[in-house]
Amino acid sequence: MIFPGLFAILVIIQFIQPDHNKSGQVMPNDISETVLMPNEVKGILKKACYDCHSNNTDYPWYTYVQPVHWFMNYHIKSGKDELNFNEFGTYTPRRQQNKLRSIESSLKEGTMPLYSYTLIHRNAILSKAEKSLILEWVQSSKDSLNKNTQSRVH
Amino acid sequence: MKTLIYSSALSLLFLAACSGSSNKTQSNADPNSASTKAMASESSEKGASTAAILNSYIKLKNAFTTDNDKEAASAGKEMVTAFAGFDKKSLTAEQDKAYTDIYEDAKEHAEHIGDNVGNITHQREHFDMLSKDMYDLVKLLGTNQSLYVDHCPMYNNNKGAIWLSEVKDIKNPYLGAAMPTCGTVKEELN
Repeated sequence: MIFPGLFAILVIIQFIQPDHNKSGQVMPNDISETVLMPNEVKGILKKACYDCHSNNTDYPWYTYVQPVHWFMNYHIKSGKDELNFNEFGTYTPRRQQNKLRSIESSLKEGTMPLYSYTLIHRNAILSKAEKSLILEWVQSSKDSLNKNTQSRVH
Repeated sequence: MKTLIYSSALSLLFLAACSGSSNKTQSNADPNSASTKAMASESSEKGASTAAILNSYIKLKNAFTTDNDKEAASAGKEMVTAFAGFDKKSLTAEQDKAYTDIYEDAKEHAEHIGDNVGNITHQREHFDMLSKDMYDLVKLLGTNQSLYVDHCPMYNNNKGAIWLSEVKDIKNPYLGAAMPTCGTVKEELN
């Protein structure tokens, strides 16, 4: 008797489709406006990070099935709260520095990209070369931001 | 039928996970708790008093010196409340701007420390960044208690890190019981 009930719930929740994380607008506060960003770096971030850390998600078909969509939305929301590459320019200089540092440590510790994400998005698994490319870019971005802040103070 | 059972079970699991986490964020972000109000009235006596913020920071620091992730988390949460109760009214426009820069960063670190029981390495990483914020906060707005700026040369792959302490003796919050007396006093803040 329980299963027909569950089935009914499953059917009903299919009709609840929350808003998608999509924005067609130009991104004046995108990180590429704040720090220099080579195209390879941009490409890696797009395929491995932007689904949860930007205002645009590439939704695979199965995310249209509920309750997967809610689950995804929750992940995207917390991902964007943590770091949104499209809004990087709105962060204070102090936060920009620390966000870069956190990118570095989460890559080094392997906590990002999330395992539950790479399980399905196999191409988001970063190769050694890709990782070191990102780490180099993080370092040079931190240095250039540092220089900016110092020249503003003096 | 089997797949149906599995998918039903899975969906319940997802739902439970989603609702659980949204509750958590709500209770964390509640700025109107009784303690907030108490702290706010306390700090209004001295205008822009940093006392409540610094007290919770000191608690946090002491939790790390004994490798206590749970106490660190509760001190982190206390700090979020202390920030919420901070009275900005007496700040000049310039101070306000500098304070906001510190606050937006520090609040996030305090939240992360509060949310990461069981991962003291991650908590300490945020404590490192938070300590710099606290140093800048004291430089900006002062303190009503004497504080020592201590430096640990070994933390973060020998990049080093600072912390603020209410006592002159070194009790290292980054290395904890492993190397409790590693570090030196760099500066005194009054």
